[in-house]
Amino acid sequence: MNTSSIEPPIVEFIKVNKVYPPDIIALVDISFLLKRGEMLFLTGMSGAGKTSLLKLICSIEHPTRGVVEVNGYDLSKVSSANLQKLRQRIGIAYQDFKLLPKHTVFQNIAMPMEVTYTSKKIIKDRISFLLDALNLSQKIDFRADKLSRGEQQRVAIARAAANYPPLLLADEPTGNLDPKHTELVINLFEQLNQAGTSLIIATHDESIYKDSSHKVIDLDHGKMQFWGPIDQKPETYEGEYP
Amino acid sequence: MNISAIFTQTGRNVKQTWGAQLMTLLTVSLSVLIFSFFFLVFLNLQKAGVQLGEHIRLIIYFENDIPPVMHPQLEKQIRSFGAVEKVVFVTKKDAFDHLTKQLGAENNNVLLDMNQDFLPPSIEVYPAKNLETLSRIKLFSDFLSTLPGAQKVKYGHEWIERLAQFTQLIRIIVFLSGGLLVLTATFMVSSTVRLTVITRQAELEILRLLGASKSYIQLPLVLEGILQGVFGTGFGLVCLYVFYTWIKTKFSGPAFLSIFSFTFMPHFILASILLLSIMLCTLGSIVSIRKFLRI
Repeated sequence: MNTSSIEPPIVEFIKVNKVYPPDIIALVDISFLLKRGEMLFLTGMSGAGKTSLLKLICSIEHPTRGVVEVNGYDLSKVSSANLQKLRQRIGIAYQDFKLLPKHTVFQNIAMPMEVTYTSKKIIKDRISFLLDALNLSQKIDFRADKLSRGEQQRVAIARAAANYPPLLLADEPTGNLDPKHTELVINLFEQLNQAGTSLIIATHDESIYKDSSHKVIDLDHGKMQFWGPIDQKPETYEGEYP
Repeated sequence: MNISAIFTQTGRNVKQTWGAQLMTLLTVSLSVLIFSFFFLVFLNLQKAGVQLGEHIRLIIYFENDIPPVMHPQLEKQIRSFGAVEKVVFVTKKDAFDHLTKQLGAENNNVLLDMNQDFLPPSIEVYPAKNLETLSRIKLFSDFLSTLPGAQKVKYGHEWIERLAQFTQLIRIIVFLSGGLLVLTATFMVSSTVRLTVITRQAELEILRLLGASKSYIQLPLVLEGILQGVFGTGFGLVCLYVFYTWIKTKFSGPAFLSIFSFTFMPHFILASILLLSIMLCTLGSIVSIRKFLRI
């Protein structure tokens, strides 16, 4: 039996609207799904609604209308205990990093693994691997506030990937990186994706997805302009997305 | 649940707010020291009162011998006042015999020319050996003087009464210092944990986003309160023991303290103080978590 056919998509949006008080429209009638093991790029200009969409997936924000499902669970009906468990399975690299400035690189990356009571040996090995992959090995004992913005960004990405999450969300993960480190980050994402992690990457850096075969959602003022493989994206939009 | 992870988190909390932690620890220690010191004094005074009370008796003198038929009625009347250990009726002859015996073979010849009924008959009343009874000894004496035929009531060691009053005062101080302990342990620990929560607000927020369970976030803060209780109280009690040993060494010999056996608190009382203090500190911690932690 093919189990993947009966498994629910890891993320599904059904007619989702998000309005911030008093009347700031962030998302309008967004519907899409992300299958397990897929990588999706969220694109659009600043203020297009990319971050709002990611916040809905990890339940930092709640939709004004519509349904957001993660791993088959309607987030509006999930208990707080189950939400905690769900969050343990989602790695998030925030646009503002959300690192603890006085904690070391090691301590920051270890946090999601400590929350799930992972053994010290596994934590050490995993952090060592991630720092190698992101060219940060020399900074392991540095305090986060002593790092450059680009280094902080990579620490945030390492923390998001630390716990082998089935779903990883990254908000502008290459915003502060030079091309060399951008490539390292994309390589890590590809590696995670090949290992089964589903990813949603919000970016306005076209260079990181233009040559890929992954799907793209293009947002404009909260409206979905396109959803599909990048090579099918039209130059200009007229009406429905595929 | 991972115990070592909880201890690690607690260690980080303590490290981040060590100044406040130290102040709280010392305040809890001082409160425990004050409370347990007065409690120790109270226990020893109570014991001293009982020791002194072992020889206490009230003697009611009468003009004439009391007929044996009246004994039960009088005894019933005496016992109606309060706890009495025994009542002894002494006739004129009993009193004379007692005096003869007290003077001994060498001196009792002074009584040879005396009538055997020159001493007054009496009733000796031995009150129960507890401080409550002893503190009411004056009232008891007044009551006994109203017995039919009673001429005079005497009781030795009137200062027992004063000792009882002093013990009463110490008892009030014990209650007050107990209140102080409750306030300091609860409020100081509560405010320290609050400081921890505020200091770690950003971290707690991130932990929440990473899916940390309530127990993962709350238990280190509860443990912080428990440790304050354990170490604060432990230190306070150790200080009290050192102070007690010093007093005992300093005032040993034929001085005041050698009259009584000055003892330290029994183990179960020490354990009770420790347990109570830990509970109060934990309570302070929980109050702060409930009030300030938003998870």
